[in-house]
Amino acid sequence: MTYRSISTRFTLGTLAMAVSLGAQAVTDQDILNDHATVDDVVTYGMGLQGQRYSSLDQLNADNVQSLQPVWAFSFGSEKMRGQESQPMIKDGVMYVTASYSRAYAIDARTGEEIWQYDARLPDGIMPCCDVVNRGGALYDDLFIFGTLDAKLVALNKDTGKVVWVKQVADYQEGYSITAAPIIVNGKLITGVSGGEFGIVGKVEAYDPRTGDLLWTRPTVEGHMGYVYQDGEAVENGISGGEAGLTWPGDMWETGGAATWLGGTYDPDTDTLFFGTGNPAPWNSHLRPGDNLFSSSRLAIDPNDGSIKWHFQTTPNDGWDYDGVNELISFDYEQNGELVRAAATADRNGFFYVLDRTDGSFIRGFPFVDEITWAEGLDENGRPIYTEGGRPGDPAATEEDKGEPVLARPAFLGGKNWMPMAYNQTTGLFYVPSNEWSMDIWNEPVSYKRGAAYLGAGFTIKPANEEFIGVLRAIDPSTGEEVWRHENRAPLWGGVMTTAGNLVFTGTPEGYLKAFDARTGEELYRFNTGSGVVGTPITWEMDGEQYVSVASGWGGAVPLWGGEVAKVVKDFNQGGMLWTFKLPSENGAQ
Amino acid sequence: MNAIYWWLMLLMTLSSLAQASDAVLDRPPERTYDIVVESGYLNVGLYRDFPPYSYLENGEPAGVDVAIGQRIAEELGVEFRVHWITPDETLEDDLRNNVWKGHYLAKRRIADVMLRVPYDRRFAYMRDSTGEVVNDQVVMFGPYQQEHWQIAHDAEALDAVRTMAVFQYHPIGVEIDTLPDTYLSSAFGGSLRDSTQHFRNVERAFDAMLEGRVHAVMSTRAEIDHQLARHADRPFRSATNGFPGLVKQSWDVGMAVKHTHRELGHVIEAIVDRMVREGEIADIFARHGLRYSVPAYYDGILEMDEET
Repeated sequence: MTYRSISTRFTLGTLAMAVSLGAQAVTDQDILNDHATVDDVVTYGMGLQGQRYSSLDQLNADNVQSLQPVWAFSFGSEKMRGQESQPMIKDGVMYVTASYSRAYAIDARTGEEIWQYDARLPDGIMPCCDVVNRGGALYDDLFIFGTLDAKLVALNKDTGKVVWVKQVADYQEGYSITAAPIIVNGKLITGVSGGEFGIVGKVEAYDPRTGDLLWTRPTVEGHMGYVYQDGEAVENGISGGEAGLTWPGDMWETGGAATWLGGTYDPDTDTLFFGTGNPAPWNSHLRPGDNLFSSSRLAIDPNDGSIKWHFQTTPNDGWDYDGVNELISFDYEQNGELVRAAATADRNGFFYVLDRTDGSFIRGFPFVDEITWAEGLDENGRPIYTEGGRPGDPAATEEDKGEPVLARPAFLGGKNWMPMAYNQTTGLFYVPSNEWSMDIWNEPVSYKRGAAYLGAGFTIKPANEEFIGVLRAIDPSTGEEVWRHENRAPLWGGVMTTAGNLVFTGTPEGYLKAFDARTGEELYRFNTGSGVVGTPITWEMDGEQYVSVASGWGGAVPLWGGEVAKVVKDFNQGGMLWTFKLPSENGAQ
Repeated sequence: MNAIYWWLMLLMTLSSLAQASDAVLDRPPERTYDIVVESGYLNVGLYRDFPPYSYLENGEPAGVDVAIGQRIAEELGVEFRVHWITPDETLEDDLRNNVWKGHYLAKRRIADVMLRVPYDRRFAYMRDSTGEVVNDQVVMFGPYQQEHWQIAHDAEALDAVRTMAVFQYHPIGVEIDTLPDTYLSSAFGGSLRDSTQHFRNVERAFDAMLEGRVHAVMSTRAEIDHQLARHADRPFRSATNGFPGLVKQSWDVGMAVKHTHRELGHVIEAIVDRMVREGEIADIFARHGLRYSVPAYYDGILEMDEET
């Protein structure tokens, strides 16, 4: 497979020249300090811990009403759908990925394109979950991102020319990459996506300058991890110690647990945090046991890929609760003691606060209105399953439809991929969540590749007439929902928060919205023309604070039918990047 | 210039405009029966790498479904072209991606007719929870084979398979995420689960049987027959056991076209119906070394034909 940029362009205007002359290499220090510097965004997560918090307060709850677009940029061609990316900023240049494995560099002052790169995807590729890409990584003079055919592509960030391409996994076996890789201490760290084709998840580190593999860590118990020294694979311990402890038969060989949402990094403990997806096969009755490390958070040593600890949110997952959600490091004080904590809002509807030094459970609570599949969490954070809450055993299926089980949240989750944010000023997490349930049953009238099959039938249903999406402010020390903002369509975009007492997120209806971080009052909305499922950023340039967000409805929600489809069916496609600031006379007041 | 000439010119312009607008709108071309015949070719949707049904052999399409597709094209008087299908998670997905809508990465890549589509009225008229017919965008028709489940065993390691109970003691291979996989992993209180080994396809399961890692393989009868023929030098046998508790023991296999292309479906249905009745399909299976069962759809019909 050859890759080439099919439309690499150079803008030769004087401004672009000035931009490229001012372009500096991105260093490890820039990346480690990203959360603290306001004039750039060089990580996915606006800081490696993934808090998505900016200390900027020029734009604030008092003046956000005056926020105005300064430019908009089209991703071009007919490939509009599914813009889930988070832009990055360095030296006045914006770097952003788009759906169908595309990347762009844009003059952040004017919105003019500097270069575009379109990955040439192979014919017949079948990525499982739409065509999205969530972002890239900047390092040195490189912009690096993953493609739908499971490759990493490193481009020269100033020219868009390909520096190296590396195959991370085989797309024909069902692998893909949609998440942003991250750079940690000079290593490029990535996970993999995959459908239900018997894949095994993994986390890998590459040399960002060459694309050479440094270590690999499978996320299913029983698989050997390796460290590469001078091109030689050296065994570095089996994940979980040995095979078959929490899996029956040979199912660990094809156990799933894809690391499809990427990870975060905590410099205080020098630890990577990756979420892992659901186990395979889908029906939990086929694989009695906890099925480690599916639906878990893994703490991984970035130096060699060793697993430091794990925390499993849904053992023996039978609902597709696919616990990949981001684990965000944060500190708080309790009884005068500093707690090094980390929080995650799981697809399964529970919010967990863990001790990030050892993975021990501090507290957990539902962040959605109702959870049917579990009655609660025990003192170790393990779910207490509701009797009869688990979808049926296929052995009990007759010729007719199996008994449906109502489960809430639905498999799309109390919160899906879209990242939440943590505000250091308010001490609150802002969680984009959804209220929906599903009926799920064994479906004997189903077929797969020309043969009879026992599929799962399910219908996903809104839990309320008026709304599905709920943006919530959650106090991680008490579990209290401080405020909520309801939205008719499911929320599918990421959240960003600032010291200006603001919370930003987008809606499928097309709005970029800003809220008062303390009260939840909606202070601002702007219609971008298509659904916002990307993640906003903010930064400072020429003394003014800017906000950017990608717009372009898509992702997993419109791929599913049922009652939810009725809410979203009229949303129009679009593929734009919008950038905002206050009018100059309002700035720097 | 006469009126007919201008009328023809107008028609040609309109039809090329229609084709051009399909490309601009990135939607699948409307290839009705007339357009298929006029174009001189038929795109036949066949599963990729799926012996003995459809696969490449020395770079050429081969298999029973390929042979049936070639005969359909021949009877229509057009060139046979293969539209290879990469299977998705379910048949609904394959029908959407290849018959009526196109996959979102290649919306204009579509088959005129898809083979190896199970023919099951309950599936065809299945409704979702809102009462909508799930597969209303396609017409499923023309059953041409009945397929069954089958076990092959290595007679040196396991002399006979009279009941499924032997797989409490003998390892058995299945293709991952198939009905045999679910059956062996769940039936009899899960007592066969630990003996069940998973492979990416039946060929790899037979490779494991060659190495003695499994003593049996369960799959469709045609796949098993094909592998038995490939390994005729080994003591691999076709078993005679039943499958108690297996939710579906056999099913008919037919074809599908987009619902707006019913006329094409009717013509192909007539061709294939004649091939079933005259034994031509049975001959194709025999030529490939496979057992053949007439679809259950013909139960009673063929006997009546013989009586009249």
